[in-house]
Amino acid sequence: MKIKVLNNKNINKNSDERLSIIRRLSFLNSQITYLVLVIIIIGIIATVLNPNFLTLRNFFNIMQQISVLGILTMCMSLLMISGGLDISIGNMAGLVAMIFAKMLIAGESITISVITVLAIALILGFINGVIIAKSKVTPLIITLGMNYVFLGVALIIGGGRPQTIIGQFEFLGEAKVGLVPVAIIIYFLIFLFAFFLRKNTKYGRRFNAIGGNSQAAFLSGINVDWHVISIYALSGLIVGLAGLVLVSRLGMVRANSGSDFALQALAAAIIGGITFEGGRGSLIGAFFGVLLLGILYNAMNIIGISSYLQTIVLGAIIVIATVISNIGKMRR
Amino acid sequence: MDICLNQKEKILEVKNITKEFPGVKALTNFNFDLKKGEVHCLIGENGAGKSTFIKILSGAFKPNSGEIYINNGKHYYLTPYLARKTGIQTVYQEDVLVPQITAAENIFLGSEIDNQKFFINYNKTIKLAENLAEQIGINIKVNEIYERLSPSDQQFVKILKALAQKPQILILDEPTQAFNIKDIGIIIQMVKKISREGVSVIYIVHNLDEIIQVADRVTVLRDGIKINTHDKNSETLNSANLAKEMVGRPVDLFYKKKESKIGDFVFEVRGLKFTQSSKEINLKVREGEILGIAGLKGAGRSKIARAIFGALKKYKGKVFYKDKDVTPKNPIKAVQEGLALLTEDKKIDGLFMGMPVDQNITIVGLDKLGKFFINLIKEKKFSEDYINKLNIKTPYLNKEVRFLSGGNQQKVVLAKWLFKDVNILIVDEPTHGIDVNAKTEVYELFTSLAESGKSIIMISSEMPELISISDRVIVIRNFEISKELNRDEITEENILSGFME
Repeated sequence: MKIKVLNNKNINKNSDERLSIIRRLSFLNSQITYLVLVIIIIGIIATVLNPNFLTLRNFFNIMQQISVLGILTMCMSLLMISGGLDISIGNMAGLVAMIFAKMLIAGESITISVITVLAIALILGFINGVIIAKSKVTPLIITLGMNYVFLGVALIIGGGRPQTIIGQFEFLGEAKVGLVPVAIIIYFLIFLFAFFLRKNTKYGRRFNAIGGNSQAAFLSGINVDWHVISIYALSGLIVGLAGLVLVSRLGMVRANSGSDFALQALAAAIIGGITFEGGRGSLIGAFFGVLLLGILYNAMNIIGISSYLQTIVLGAIIVIATVISNIGKMRR
Repeated sequence: MDICLNQKEKILEVKNITKEFPGVKALTNFNFDLKKGEVHCLIGENGAGKSTFIKILSGAFKPNSGEIYINNGKHYYLTPYLARKTGIQTVYQEDVLVPQITAAENIFLGSEIDNQKFFINYNKTIKLAENLAEQIGINIKVNEIYERLSPSDQQFVKILKALAQKPQILILDEPTQAFNIKDIGIIIQMVKKISREGVSVIYIVHNLDEIIQVADRVTVLRDGIKINTHDKNSETLNSANLAKEMVGRPVDLFYKKKESKIGDFVFEVRGLKFTQSSKEINLKVREGEILGIAGLKGAGRSKIARAIFGALKKYKGKVFYKDKDVTPKNPIKAVQEGLALLTEDKKIDGLFMGMPVDQNITIVGLDKLGKFFINLIKEKKFSEDYINKLNIKTPYLNKEVRFLSGGNQQKVVLAKWLFKDVNILIVDEPTHGIDVNAKTEVYELFTSLAESGKSIIMISSEMPELISISDRVIVIRNFEISKELNRDEITEENILSGFME
């Protein structure tokens, strides 16, 4: 194809390259820098009040505590970037953990149980995806309903009683590779997976585009339904993994063991700069969002703030973070 | 406010109104007056300045210079509040009322019958709406939910809503667009009736027959300049003369296209129908040809384009490329077959406004950048290529497209499809809302694309554009092809006559 080159001045290397660096920095400048700054400030305050805060052991402790939330936050972030949302992921993780515990108690081998529950998790995500993609109903409502369905099924399976598997399956939650707990490694791998999936693959680019403008994506020849369904299914699979880490860490499971996680994951993603509009936001931000919540909890525990007050602080942080991330928009 | 005694019966007069937009003079020293109880028609092509003028009267735009006299009170500009207070009510084409509530509630929305402070009296609302409709001879179900009404009934509701305010000036912006003859008749009767009762009407319309039936006076606008005002009884008020006045631009407004070689027919749409009873649409495009599609807004041009592209359900119809049946059942298939659809509103369904320029360029042709992973270095190189080729002005590659100007956004859309290497481009209003220079660049791009063997189907409302770069023009009226014009037949008169039959 011949297209006349009209003039070549449009990319003026020198000035624009410099501008581009400034821009990139100012992009970082937004949410993530704030986050890191807040994390550092909390760290300093906690360390002054209790020197035990700033130890490698405590850091691993924090990371281990947030691993389940972190994995679920990655699910939530991927879904939100693709223009979706799934508030059933917490109870989905609980249900998966419940099924797994029941299978172990019934004498099933760990390998078969793991494969089974991961497959179930994938299918649960798939079901969410199909309903959302085909009905075009807002994901909030669909997954709100599914949230209760999952909780109910877990209650039935567990007969309303906690299921204990202490000592039978500790690898994912409690074991360590060298100094590093396995749970942290899994969280980190999931983060890297999500990050590169979004940034470096065609699949990631396409679900990102769907989140940005699904109508334009449709007219660009992107198979919107397939991407929506598959991202929910993929998210389901990762939720399954989170459920396994959860049950491994606790050594037992209740039907509602995962209930709080969905909204916390949503909060962490939003604190990290992921938006409801979709198509935007960074997984690194979400990563720090989780870290902020973890450090905040840990610091409050170490300082000795009551758990009731902690709940208030959590809520306040969500509101403040969302308002801050919106200030930029108001200026625009 | 000073009072001019010599303007007694004129309730509205504007003097030397000029309105400029960046790069365009939408109105130049425009003079206009309106007498009590008069129906004054405004005609002109798209972009002639009609809409700008009524937006000034409704307070949406502030003119750069000139004066507006309403009931002899002098204003330099109006605000929406002032316009309403002085009794000007405007019914826009694209006005949207609240779909989920009844027609009657819509009519009195914002001016609820205020016999009670807080609660709305539904029965009274409906009764008043019925009376109002009856008074002006319209028969609609006022207690029906608005969105369930037919398009023409919805139009009636909009007009009733304006009349409920008891205006002294009613502005109707193409009220009969997409109306059948019977409903046009009702509107005309209604306008005549309210004008007899003393309401002055500014009536914007395309159909010349309608004008001759309803107008007391007709003002012709062209490119923001008043060409003439005709009296009802004057001999100059006839279709031929009006059409001549609406067109006839100086030649230098036209882009001069190079002659290029056109090949054989490669693309064909056969027997496209939207409903069982609608007429078949057949069209063929040659290799390297630019086929213009003219027609008024709402005539069905965009829907036809979407149906061809597989993005809109059709009753029937096939699409062929080089004699092979490529009828796309969805856009995924269309893209695979080398079709491109550049939609009218980039923001709504063309671009990913929050994504960077390079990602917008490569999104359709991602397959060129790897099997599963995207080669980010290649992506950068390719998008830089297209930024240079199309002269897209962006400070850097990963600037979000929403920060680019309209013209540059349009070029990003074009780059997005060219990167995919498509054969047939369907472009809908390609130069809508972009400045003159960017327009010329887009025309040059289209010409060179056609030269390189691509076929372009260009939907456009802009006469100069249709005339200067189309090799052939098809005129669409009410989902039908009303006219086909070869190169030497493409004139404004011929196209306009296709609009009106």
